[in-house]
Amino acid sequence: MSKVFRQFSVLVLLFFGMWFTLSKFDFVRAFEVEEFTKSNERRLGRLVLDGLYSENSALQSDSVLSFVRGIQARLCAANDIPDSTITLHILIRGDVNAFALPDRQLVVYTGLISYCKNAEEFAGVLAHEIAHIERGHVMKKLVTHVGISMLMTIAGGDAGPDISRQIVTLLSSTAFDREQENEADAFAVKMMAGANIDPEHFANFLFRLSQEKNTIPKHFEWISTHTNSQERASEVLRLKKSERFDSLAIADTAAWASIKRSMRDF
Amino acid sequence: MSQAPGYAHTPDEYESEKASNSYLMSLVAIMVGLPLPVVNVIASTIYYFNNKRSPYFVRWHCTQALLAQIIAFGVNAAGLYWTLSIVVGSNTITNTYIAYIVTIVIFNLVEFVATIYSAVRTRKGEHVVWWFFGALTDTLVKR
Repeated sequence: MSKVFRQFSVLVLLFFGMWFTLSKFDFVRAFEVEEFTKSNERRLGRLVLDGLYSENSALQSDSVLSFVRGIQARLCAANDIPDSTITLHILIRGDVNAFALPDRQLVVYTGLISYCKNAEEFAGVLAHEIAHIERGHVMKKLVTHVGISMLMTIAGGDAGPDISRQIVTLLSSTAFDREQENEADAFAVKMMAGANIDPEHFANFLFRLSQEKNTIPKHFEWISTHTNSQERASEVLRLKKSERFDSLAIADTAAWASIKRSMRDF
Repeated sequence: MSQAPGYAHTPDEYESEKASNSYLMSLVAIMVGLPLPVVNVIASTIYYFNNKRSPYFVRWHCTQALLAQIIAFGVNAAGLYWTLSIVVGSNTITNTYIAYIVTIVIFNLVEFVATIYSAVRTRKGEHVVWWFFGALTDTLVKR
């Protein structure tokens, strides 16, 4: 029996010794794994965005753009997220929706801005989508639903034009898995608290969605992709208790009303 | 891996073929089962139970082949789980992960070569004893 243990020990030592020794080699840099992934994500992001802009127009209002970018900058700055790496796109569309695209791109429809009761609610949705970007959920969702080989084909430009449209549909109108949604909610609460924005507004937004769930018009995309809103609102409120922050308003009621009013012009 | 020089029993044609098949079984199952690491274990287990009442030489080699498959299954399943956690979960590709995959590829290759070698040698009636697996088989299989 001692022979068995002796030989087993040698085998285990050999295995872990080889693993440990090999792990000292910088494979990630040598094989340019990160760069390879990033360049494909960049190409994919560009293709998807082209598909999106072929069907929607960008909002041209400087005041709205700078207002929304200001919220994004505040959330990012307070949480050590490089704001300039996230590209914001505001598109004129009545759907109540916002979603993240590959290559750290964030799309907001004007319908969402019109729907939010105050700037803090809107900041909550924005923080939630930035969380998906920060946690790398977008590419993981694509890999799960589309598959790596298909994504490589698309990134290589060998797929048809309909494909990028289908990816937009996938990212804008299907949900992330529950674990990822919860992770994004938790991250959003931290981001909001870090930026001194009360996460309760985000909970209010989610709660309102759950209340209007049965009466929602079909263009309330964000609701259909973010189910269990009531449960999530409760969780946001629970998470809020462990955060310390001074609630500082983003904009007063009149300023937000003015932003919403300007939506009607488009 | 070694050939036992002092092994007294000389297996007949039937025993040699059966013993050799236990290794071939895991090889064929590897081809069929890739990338799922469980198919070869299932095949080896079925073959092992089918030969539980076979002569000592056959049982011994079925056991050695099965034990090697079980260890390989554990190591490969961990690799598959880790890979899936990267593809669909929140893990990322790290040097530790790549080192693990390289290590299990090397171990699988060594096992693959050893399996072919053992299949050929046992077919000729030679008793091939693997490092650790042979010693463990000795303690498990009684004449």
